[in-house]
Amino acid sequence: MATPVHLETEVSLIDALKRGDSAAYETAVREYSSGMLAVARFYLDPSSAEEIVQDCWVTVIDAVQKFEGRSGLKTWLHRIVANRCKNRLRTANREVPTEFSESLEPELANRFNAKGRWNLPPQLQFHDSADTLMENGALSDCLDKHLSALPETQRSALMLYEAHQRKSEDVCNILDVSASNLRVLLHRARQKIFLMVETFQETGEC
Amino acid sequence: MLMCRDLATIASDYIDGELSGRQNLSVKMHLLMCRDCQTFIGNLRASSELMNAHSSRKLSNEFLRRIDERVARALAEKKSENQNQS
Ligand SMILES: [Zn+2]
Repeated sequence: MATPVHLETEVSLIDALKRGDSAAYETAVREYSSGMLAVARFYLDPSSAEEIVQDCWVTVIDAVQKFEGRSGLKTWLHRIVANRCKNRLRTANREVPTEFSESLEPELANRFNAKGRWNLPPQLQFHDSADTLMENGALSDCLDKHLSALPETQRSALMLYEAHQRKSEDVCNILDVSASNLRVLLHRARQKIFLMVETFQETGEC
Repeated sequence: MLMCRDLATIASDYIDGELSGRQNLSVKMHLLMCRDCQTFIGNLRASSELMNAHSSRKLSNEFLRRIDERVARALAEKKSENQNQS
């Protein structure tokens, strides 16, 4: 994961962007594009999303002159991307992210009996820390595979939730979803990974 | 009373501290008595951490370089515009 830009560094980075310093742009592009792409892919297909992110960086050159730093650079950039995507969707047929009324994954929901008790409880504890688990190359590959198979809405929601220090309000504004819808997207994504790690630990297979 | 299925439904909200005081308390009470749900919450939390460590997209160098080029071109255009004005 990219190291977060600290506040002081961010202020000097913004100054450099305002001056039109090309090295500052290269730094910022590497720091922020991944989150921007997550925003764009929430709304658009992968290739349109890449196009939007590229276009946004060009508009930033002028827009940054008026940036006052109230929201933080990351949030500001994410909003620019989200607005562009929404504008584009206004002309096309907007596909609204699915509203789930049920936040349990079917595969998990089947593991309870009629009384709501575990029928097939989790057998193993993932007691290792994330760092230790990550050192397992096969698991890490498997995780990559499953993360890329997640629906874009869930994947983006999850990534942005962490990127914005779990401030639901910011993420809801950027992605234009309700707080409850965001909760469902996050919970759905986590359950899928839970199921994946469980299968992997029990069978050694991805 | 909160059942295991209910707990599994709101487990992420519990992990993220998004539950109301009363709901939070009933989850805690349930966890005191239910080993399976303890394991589930622990595993879901571990899954979440695992995913955080893994979630940022690896961008292709080609994609980044394309942005660099477009930005450099736009910066150069802007500079020459400014020079023409002054
Ligand atoms: Zn239980």
